[in-house]
Amino acid sequence: MEISSQEAGESLAQAEDAAARTRKLLACRGTDALFVIWGVVWFLGFLGTEFAPRLLLALTRGGEVRGETVAWTVNGLWLALIALGGAVSVVVWKRRSPTKKGGGARFGWFWVLLYVYVNVWILLIWPFIKVEGAAESVRFWRHMSAICATVPMFAYVVMGLWLDHFIIWIGLAVTALTLLGLFLVPDWFWIWMAVVGGGTLAGTGLLVRNRWR
Amino acid sequence: MGGIDEVIHQSLRLQIMASLVTLDPREKVDFVYLRELLKASDGNLGAHLEKLEAARYVKIEKTFVARKPRTFISATAKGRAAFEEHVAALKRILNMK
Repeated sequence: MEISSQEAGESLAQAEDAAARTRKLLACRGTDALFVIWGVVWFLGFLGTEFAPRLLLALTRGGEVRGETVAWTVNGLWLALIALGGAVSVVVWKRRSPTKKGGGARFGWFWVLLYVYVNVWILLIWPFIKVEGAAESVRFWRHMSAICATVPMFAYVVMGLWLDHFIIWIGLAVTALTLLGLFLVPDWFWIWMAVVGGGTLAGTGLLVRNRWR
Repeated sequence: MGGIDEVIHQSLRLQIMASLVTLDPREKVDFVYLRELLKASDGNLGAHLEKLEAARYVKIEKTFVARKPRTFISATAKGRAAFEEHVAALKRILNMK
């Protein structure tokens, strides 16, 4: 079979385009649901962080609530939400995966390893952190929360470089909103992150539902 | 050194193979997603997949997932090799320009 060089060029371009769309499909399919899941996790987690001290006070009927108790309660809430969010994410990803013996496992491992490294970095500087007093403690935990919130946003920005530039903008927007909340409305930071952070993620999921079909 | 593969050269069949070889050799793609990806109709995609299957370039597996029938397609080793040779032939033609 003989073909012209023009036809050969067009065929190669078609093949490369199909391959690129396939790689994107594999990476992005089901991502809309993941945005919604983690938006809900952020919403509940940050609301819980805001209202935990008041709830604990109500449970002790106005008695004393120690700072460590609040910290452990909030940490427990976040651990439970993250574990649940992770489990639901795995189920959704497997159900919505376009492939059998799915190629999405690498993305799952990426997120696990990212958080392992973040915890390693925090452990490395932890001995040098000195927080004194309740007010300083609250400020410290706001900054820690901001770190935890911007870590996945960094991942979105990096992934967006390969997958879809739209994800870069989401990562940058939520990072900017996190910093705005931390420095401009610190007393309302938890509620800000619940509504603005969680809302942005969940809203993104609904917005991209058709973008990556 | 192989030449242009007439089975693969057709536009939709070329795109099918290009998509399938992007996957890991153990992976299989759902027919529905392949149809959406390539913007083809059920009948059109099915007909071209039959041709590729007849040439033993793809394997088509019909199964049930959560009690729903699903069809998965994967490239065979022969299909991957044929696609690579076809792409190499296209590049040779392009370089001869």
